[in-house]
Amino acid sequence: MDKQPEKKGDQTQDNNSSALVQKIQQLGQSNVPQAPDSNIHVLSIIGQVEGHVQLPPQNKTTKYEHLLPQLVAIEQNPKIEGLVILLNTVGGDVEAGLALSEMITSISKPTVSIVLGGGHSIGVPIAVATDYSFIAPTATMTIHPIRLTGLVIGVPQTFEYLDEMQNRVVDFVVNHSNITEEKFKDLMFAKGNLTRDIGTNVVGKAAVEYGLIDGVGGVKEAMKKINELIKQNGDHEQQVMQ
Amino acid sequence: MIIYTPLSKEDIFYTSQEYTERQMISYNGKPLYCEKRADGSLEIVKLLSTDPKDFLNHEFSPGTIISQMNEN
Repeated sequence: MDKQPEKKGDQTQDNNSSALVQKIQQLGQSNVPQAPDSNIHVLSIIGQVEGHVQLPPQNKTTKYEHLLPQLVAIEQNPKIEGLVILLNTVGGDVEAGLALSEMITSISKPTVSIVLGGGHSIGVPIAVATDYSFIAPTATMTIHPIRLTGLVIGVPQTFEYLDEMQNRVVDFVVNHSNITEEKFKDLMFAKGNLTRDIGTNVVGKAAVEYGLIDGVGGVKEAMKKINELIKQNGDHEQQVMQ
Repeated sequence: MIIYTPLSKEDIFYTSQEYTERQMISYNGKPLYCEKRADGSLEIVKLLSTDPKDFLNHEFSPGTIISQMNEN
């Protein structure tokens, strides 16, 4: 009778030590760093925004079907007070990009975005969807007309269809930033800025001057802003309760 | 499908390479994007969590190999 518990203890010890050996083999260390729970979550949108069609594997992609449930979880979790979105994207699927933008804009918690490197094409509506947007001084945003389509139909219809798709993007950007529709379309159809295309490459400070992005900055500015917004949000909630 | 990007079509769809066997799994409660290796084990390609804390956890760092047994 006495032997049984002893045996059991040995077994757990064996299991523990084998798990430890496995960990050392895989990671070269036995302990993992611990940090306190963060009240701010981070969503990175990197590479192509992938929509209904799976892109070939050489593309680095962000799949929107992975992000949508996470956004719901962020909205639902009371421990999460704010969301920071990191953008370094070359654009991608229009529907997926707009879906993400609408999800981000409809989150009740404070949201801040940082455009790092590039936030091109469909990255523009995603960047402006947040409560406050930042762009790194060296980051760029390419604003140009929509052209790539999987549809092969008659020329006039294709033109009108693309025009309609484009208007969805333009409307969203105009409604969620300080840029005017006229200015945005000017940038979109500008000649001479891009070598083989019409459009404009807007760099850091210029994006702020056009009213597209709210401020130039990086992590420090974004964290400061989100903490400020969280505080405001908290004050407001307290007022409502009273 | 409409793609809105400054890249050319050839840059995005330039080969007829076969899609590697990638899948999304949940491992220790965290969503991970993994690639299946020849021996049936999984290699982490990307951590999909939004909690910045998880990125400090080496258990989820890209390149880590997890055996199918541990999957839950």
